[in-house]
Amino acid sequence: MLKTKDLVLVALFTAMIIVLGLIPPVPVPWVPVPITLQTFGVMLAGLILGPWRGGLVVLTYVLIAMLGIPVLPGGRAGLAVLAGPTGGFLLGMIPGAVITGWLAGALPRGELAHAPQGWKAVAPQVLRCWVASVIGGLLVVYAVGIPWLATVTGMGLNKAAWAVVVFLPGDLLKALVASIVAQRVRRLGMI
Amino acid sequence: MLIEFKNIFVEREGRLILGDLSLSLSERRIGIMGPNGSGKSTFIRLINGLLLPKTGQICVDGLDTRLEVEKIRRKVGFVFQNPDNQIVFPIVSEDIEFGLKRRIPEPKMRHQRMLEALDQLGVLHLQDRSIHTLSGGERQLVALAGVLATTPEILVFDEPTTQLDLRLRNRFEQHLSALPQPALIVSHDLELMRTMDRVLVIVEGRLAFDGVPADATAWYRTHCG
Amino acid sequence: MGSFYFPGDSWLHRTAAGVKLLLLMLAGAGLMWVHDWRILLLVLLGVLLLVQQSGARLQQVWLYLKTLSWLVIILILYTAFAQTPLGALEVGLRIYALLLGALLVSMTTSIAQMMEVLIWLLRPFHQLGWVNSERVALVFGLTLRLIPELTVQWQDIREAQAARGLKANPFTMGVPMLLRTLRRAQDIADALDARQ
Repeated sequence: MLKTKDLVLVALFTAMIIVLGLIPPVPVPWVPVPITLQTFGVMLAGLILGPWRGGLVVLTYVLIAMLGIPVLPGGRAGLAVLAGPTGGFLLGMIPGAVITGWLAGALPRGELAHAPQGWKAVAPQVLRCWVASVIGGLLVVYAVGIPWLATVTGMGLNKAAWAVVVFLPGDLLKALVASIVAQRVRRLGMI
Repeated sequence: MLIEFKNIFVEREGRLILGDLSLSLSERRIGIMGPNGSGKSTFIRLINGLLLPKTGQICVDGLDTRLEVEKIRRKVGFVFQNPDNQIVFPIVSEDIEFGLKRRIPEPKMRHQRMLEALDQLGVLHLQDRSIHTLSGGERQLVALAGVLATTPEILVFDEPTTQLDLRLRNRFEQHLSALPQPALIVSHDLELMRTMDRVLVIVEGRLAFDGVPADATAWYRTHCG
Repeated sequence: MGSFYFPGDSWLHRTAAGVKLLLLMLAGAGLMWVHDWRILLLVLLGVLLLVQQSGARLQQVWLYLKTLSWLVIILILYTAFAQTPLGALEVGLRIYALLLGALLVSMTTSIAQMMEVLIWLLRPFHQLGWVNSERVALVFGLTLRLIPELTVQWQDIREAQAARGLKANPFTMGVPMLLRTLRRAQDIADALDARQ
C-alpha cells in the first residue's frame, strides 16, 4: 500500500515542516503579527501529498516531537508541549492536513507544459487550494486549538478566540502563498 | 554470474526508453557508455528490479527480476551516483550497520563486518564521523563500504567517478581493480572504460556498440563526440 | 540543525536511550507543577552541569540556544505582561531547563538509538499487525537525517536564484525546493529498495 517512495516523501516533508518551524517569525507588511512558517509547511504537505500522506507527515512531526527531539518552533519538544497552551493547535494540524488534502482534490496527473498556463486557467485551482488550506490549515486547527487553549490557561473560550484572531490575516496570506506554490508543483505531476 | 536480457522493451508514459535489447553479460568488468538520456541508467536499474520492462525478461543468476527480486537484490550491490541519496543515517557506522540488519541479525557480527568494510577501503577512521562533515569523495567511499559490507556477488556502479577529482578518481580505480566481484560500470570516463573487459554503448535506447574497450571508445568518440 | 548528536564517551552517552527519553518526559511533566523559581533555577543549573559532563562544546550549545530563544523571549514577555514578572521568571527558567534537557538528550543519543526505543515502544502494535515498526523507524531516521540536508539545499537554491538576480521569496524559492525534493524522493527510494 505505502511504497518506499511514499515513505521517503513523508520523511522529506516532515523534515521540511521541521526546518520551516525552526525559522523565527517573519514580519510581513500589512500583517499585525510576524508569521510563523510551521503551518505553511503543513498546508504544503496536505496540498501536494494529498490527505493520507499529508496526514502521515504531520503525525510523524508530532510523534518526533513527542519522542523528545527539539523540532517544534523554538526548539520545544515533549509531552509538556501537548499539555501546554499550544498543544491543541499542534494536534489540530493532523486532521487539518488530512482535510486540506482531501478538499484540494485529486492530484492532476501529468499535466505538463501543454496545459493552459494563463492566469484565468490557473485561478480556479489556486482558489480551490486556498479554500482547502483555509478550512484545513486554519479552521480545523483553530477549532481544536482554541478550546484547548481556553481550558489549559483557564482563559475562557471568548478570550482565547480573541487572542488568536490577531494571527488570522497572516494565516490567510500564508494559505494563499501555499496555494500558488502548491498549484505549480502539482501540475508537474511528479508525485 | 550470468545476467541475461531477453527481448527487453522499456516504456515510460508511452515513450520507448529501451528497445529490443537481448544480451548476456558474464565478463568480470563490463562498462556501459552512452550520451545523456540514452537509457543507460534505465538499463542498469533493470538488473536489480528497480525498474521492470514492459515486455521481456531479465535473469540474474537464473532468477527472474519479476519474480524473485528480493533474492536478486541480496546478490547485487548497487552504488548510486549521489552518495547522499544512499546514506540513511548521519553517523557512518550506523548507516552501514543499518544496511546489514536483515542479513546479519547478531549485533556484534554486524559491527565487525562494518569495520572490515571500512578498513577494506582505507576509511576506518571515518567510523564515528557524521556524514555532513565528510567531503564528496569520502562520502562516496562510505557509500561503497556500505554496499561492500553486504557481501554482494556482483556490483553495479552508476557514474562512480563523475564527482571525483583526479586523485580520488585514481584511488577509485585502484579500489575497483582490487574488488573480487564482477562489476558493471556506467560512466562517461573514457579512461576508466579502458580497464574494462567489455564495453556496451547505448544510444537512444538501443545497443549501438558491443565490444572491446579500444573499439568501443573509438566508436563513441566518432559518433557521440 | 536537526541532528544535534555528536559521538562521545561520556557517561551520558552510555546511558540507555530509553532511560534518557523517559527521564526527559517525566521532567517535562513534573516541572509543570513546580512553581518555586529557586527550585527551577537549581534544576537549570543541574542540567547545565550535565551538559558540561557530556563533553559538548559550549560554543555550539550557546549557538543553539541563541537561535531558539526567540520564542522563549516572547513567552517570557507575554507572561510578564499578562501575569507577573515573577511568573515570567518561572516560565523562563522552566523553558530553558526543558530546552537544555531536550538538547542534552539529542546530543548524547544517536538517531539509531532513538529508533531502537521507538521500535521497542511499538512492539505490541507491531505484533498486533497494526504497524510495521521497521518502516516507522525508517521514516523517523530519514526525517532527522534530511533536516540538515534541506538547509543546505535551501542555501544552494538561494545562491542560484541570487546569481540570476532574484531575491529570496516563497515563489522563487518554494517551487524549486519542492521540485528538487520530489526528484530526490525517487532516488532515495531506489537506493533504499536496492539495499533490501
